[in-house]
Amino acid sequence: MATKLNLSEQPDSETSSLNDQTVSSRSNNRSLRVAEKERRKIEAEDPFVLALKYFTDVEAGTPVTGNDEVEKHLVLVEKVAYNRGLSPEAISNMLEFAMSLRMGTTLCARVLKCLIPATAVPQEAVVRAVVWLGVGKIPITTQVLFIKWVLTVFDMIDAKDQLRAIYGFIFSFLTDESLCPYICHLLYLLTRKESVRVFRVRKLLELQSKLGRQPFLLHLLSLYKVFCPELVTLSIPSRMRSGFRNHNSPWKSVLIGVQKRNGSQVASSIAPSASMVRDKTNSRKRKYRHLEIPALNCVVNKPAQTGTSSCRKLVPVVQLNSFAQLLENMHHIELPAQMGSLLGSSLALQYLDFVQDESALLRLNFWLGYALHEELLFCSDGGASQNSEEAVQFLNKLLSTQHFLQEGFSSSEAFLYKFLNVWDGSLFRPEILGLLSNIPVIPSSQIGCLLFEPLKQLFFTSSLFFKCGLMECLNNMLLKWLTWHSVYALEDDLDISLNSHTSINMTLSGFKDSVMELVLFVGRIASVGLQLEGCHSLLLSFILDFYETVCDTFLKYGLPLVLMPPPGVFYPALFATDPVNVDRLAYIMYRFKVNLTSAKSQEKITQQAFHISRQTFQEFNNYVVVMANCLLNYKMFHPGMGVQLGEELLLKSNVPQYWASYDLTRHPAFMSYAIDFHQKCWPGRKDMDLNSIKHPKPWSWYLEYLFTQGYDGLKQFCQGNISRQQTAGDGQGDSVSSKQR
Amino acid sequence: MFKFVSGFCAAAADTPNMERHCTSVTRTPLNSVRVQRRSKSKSYRQSIRSCLGAASRLVLTPALTARRLNTSRKAPKSLDITEKVNPEQLSLLVKKEWQLSYVTPLYQFRHTQLKSYSRQLSAFIAAEKQRGLAVEVEGTHGSFRVSFGVVQGMSEADDDAETVLVQIYSKPLFAVKDEPPRAVWSGWLTCINGSPDYLRSLPKDFTCMPLFCSSGADGLSSLVKSWFQLTFDCCFGPLEISHTSLQWLVALWTNCHTESAIKHLKMMWTVPAASPLKVTYTVNGPDAWQLWSSVRKERHDGSNKEEEEEEDSIDIEEVMRFMQDLKSHFYRHFRTDLSAGSLDQVATALGSAKSSGRIKIANSKYMITTLTLLTECALLKMPI
Repeated sequence: MATKLNLSEQPDSETSSLNDQTVSSRSNNRSLRVAEKERRKIEAEDPFVLALKYFTDVEAGTPVTGNDEVEKHLVLVEKVAYNRGLSPEAISNMLEFAMSLRMGTTLCARVLKCLIPATAVPQEAVVRAVVWLGVGKIPITTQVLFIKWVLTVFDMIDAKDQLRAIYGFIFSFLTDESLCPYICHLLYLLTRKESVRVFRVRKLLELQSKLGRQPFLLHLLSLYKVFCPELVTLSIPSRMRSGFRNHNSPWKSVLIGVQKRNGSQVASSIAPSASMVRDKTNSRKRKYRHLEIPALNCVVNKPAQTGTSSCRKLVPVVQLNSFAQLLENMHHIELPAQMGSLLGSSLALQYLDFVQDESALLRLNFWLGYALHEELLFCSDGGASQNSEEAVQFLNKLLSTQHFLQEGFSSSEAFLYKFLNVWDGSLFRPEILGLLSNIPVIPSSQIGCLLFEPLKQLFFTSSLFFKCGLMECLNNMLLKWLTWHSVYALEDDLDISLNSHTSINMTLSGFKDSVMELVLFVGRIASVGLQLEGCHSLLLSFILDFYETVCDTFLKYGLPLVLMPPPGVFYPALFATDPVNVDRLAYIMYRFKVNLTSAKSQEKITQQAFHISRQTFQEFNNYVVVMANCLLNYKMFHPGMGVQLGEELLLKSNVPQYWASYDLTRHPAFMSYAIDFHQKCWPGRKDMDLNSIKHPKPWSWYLEYLFTQGYDGLKQFCQGNISRQQTAGDGQGDSVSSKQR
Repeated sequence: MFKFVSGFCAAAADTPNMERHCTSVTRTPLNSVRVQRRSKSKSYRQSIRSCLGAASRLVLTPALTARRLNTSRKAPKSLDITEKVNPEQLSLLVKKEWQLSYVTPLYQFRHTQLKSYSRQLSAFIAAEKQRGLAVEVEGTHGSFRVSFGVVQGMSEADDDAETVLVQIYSKPLFAVKDEPPRAVWSGWLTCINGSPDYLRSLPKDFTCMPLFCSSGADGLSSLVKSWFQLTFDCCFGPLEISHTSLQWLVALWTNCHTESAIKHLKMMWTVPAASPLKVTYTVNGPDAWQLWSSVRKERHDGSNKEEEEEEDSIDIEEVMRFMQDLKSHFYRHFRTDLSAGSLDQVATALGSAKSSGRIKIANSKYMITTLTLLTECALLKMPI
């Protein structure tokens, strides 16, 4: 409450209000006040504000030549104007400064050139400036420049009533030959029926006889004739070049740039954007316009309303401003004329998500597919690189929409399947991979040719960076599929609706097949990828991310499917040189175990449960044995394990104690810890003997020490397996029985 | 840039000579006849297409299927379309060069509302023309008048929507009273023998007329397109006529020669030499037909009787054979292998087509075949 009060106070009344407040709120007040002061101070020190202040206050007749101060300030104003545009106030001040010629005529033209409005132009400023024209000291070229400026920003002037009020005054400038064309144009824009008077018509005709049949005069006259045909008897040629010439060249490009930078909210809120859009329409690069998201418009062509619907008024999406309004009108909302426009509005998307209107979605998909195809597939002339910034923005918008709806559009999916075949793997990589991770489940019969074939080629021919990116993408894809499954799977019915918008249903076994295909595919490419990249630890890390998802499919997502990583992934991870990856592998194996045991127990309870193949258990057990033997039991190359080498060969290699070369003390990833531990344990000892760690006591200390370093995966793995080993005898089924062998 | 014109074709005296060539060429074993190189864009397109067939299930209804260019189509039969279509309207469609576009299905388009569309589009054009003038000017609306009309009878299959013709007349602002308005722009939307699977898969609210032909000022074209986009939530994209489609046209048109003389078969090629070669290759109508009938005959000789029954169908193999024979002949004379280049333009007395997507139909008798091919191309471009 106190803070609220204080916010509305003027800083001047500081002392008086302070007295009758509690200590706590006082200190609170003070900090706010300080902040406020600070803000003002910063504002006051803002060079731009200073510059504006300078131009507002500067005395008439201040010399320009050799005046560094004015130069400095003006440069700053120009910079801001060209970057962000000027606020209405700033326009007002600068225009006043320029037109009053306080510092001579040279500055006047220069200031006019940089008057780029950011939002709107105050009408009063324009009116005052027109009045300055009447003073008559401004050189004619500058006067022309000013009128051109008014014509350029005409649509941005916040109101026109006062300008219309001085119609006669503006009309009087017609007599000046060089101003005449521009004044005609301005008058054309301001003319209303009541402005058409006999004396004005007469004046125009008089001018025409003097200057000849100039198009600008004819245009104004034709407008007069439209309003008051009885006053203008002149016959006007049927064929006239339409419109006035555009005089906005000095400002146009800058203005477009500023508006673009200031974002669409400005552009859409004021009229000139219309003319800007038109400029774009007419530009040569018309073919790239398909990335523009259409504006929200009402339906023009309403279908004939039936009796029931006519009594209920439809509310167009454009008129909705808040979620509350959306809720209120939920049942009588009219979709916009172009569904593509929804992409920009989260409110409309919420509605779309709710209604599930097939036609509406199809319209959106047609537009989206068209835009994607035209931009990225059909324009083979390298157009994509020319406006990549625009494309990135578009794709990001699409991505955020899909994230918002939590599902992909079918058109972007269809597009991706085609695009993957021609993609070089680097164009818009993050965006394309993002889109790819959003595609819904593909039936296993088609997943190969649609997805795996192109991805395989890309994967093996691209950089390490791409490989990592693709792994991340596939992991996200799997995560989304599993999430869909856990959301949409019906409890009893095995049918699940994959995508709420499509009518494609899939059986549980079909879904399982697809997931299995995906996991197996990743296993294959990961194995080869690791070989290609020399078991790069970054790639390995991304691959293990994927398996972290895989190992929990049953418990986290309720999908009765457990798939082991292939040896090509398991062994590189086990023998990785960085401890983090080994630790993650240990965690993954631990989770596998938890999933398998719970699946097994559930199978016992519910009877009707699924079948996890014997082979999976065998694979798992095998891995666990290898891992335990390797890291903990120093039984590397034990017969019957995954990695086997001939005894003679091992002897030949001259590696001492080869059977223990990958235990936790000598594993390349953990060696440094072992040494560190050794030093801490026996600080005095000069000769290092890692074998001494292996005695039961230091060993358990060593493990403790490792666990304190944050290797939780290792900890869980060890605790899950060792404890059981020690309390041998309580054989808990296949999944752990390995330890007893 | 060089311009070759095949010598013997201009001087028809060489005909027997050509015959000899042709027979020798056609005897070359079939499997050696292969297009060796393809232009880049070609193979690119093909890869897109090849995946399209497989990607059919994505679409909301599984019916949006196998979307690739048909490999076999009916031989064009002389069809007196004037019996079905009002000749006056037909005359508006032929003998004009049209710029092609594809259009995604129109949402809530009604063939019954054409009158109101005419009004709306005129108003839209007037408004767009006045944009930037800030003041509403009365009375200028009349400068363009739009008429929408159905071309009765211009559809083949039951699923095809009736063709819609749009014309824009200009009535200058301060025109003399009796001056009749001139048609300054015209365009039509059509669907001839569109894939029934695709058409049926669309919900009722959609009308699919995938082929849009326009002729007139570009400014008006883009205005009309943006009005359609706004009103029916559809999208327009350029429709090029692919290399394969042009080859199809070569064969289909040549096949008509006995019924309606094609006079000459003119093909323009671009060959990617160090300085790109533009080759204009003209064959006399009868010669082309002779070569074509030998290709056709060979097929029928070699094939068993079952295929005889479908005598009026033409296969892509035949088209490729025909093209290859034409190319071999050219190579024999000029030592320039056209298979390395791309076909850009085809012209006969029946019509002309350019790879940039311009087409002219000179003879209404065979227009259905041509439009069927183009409708197919347009449907191939559909995003979903």
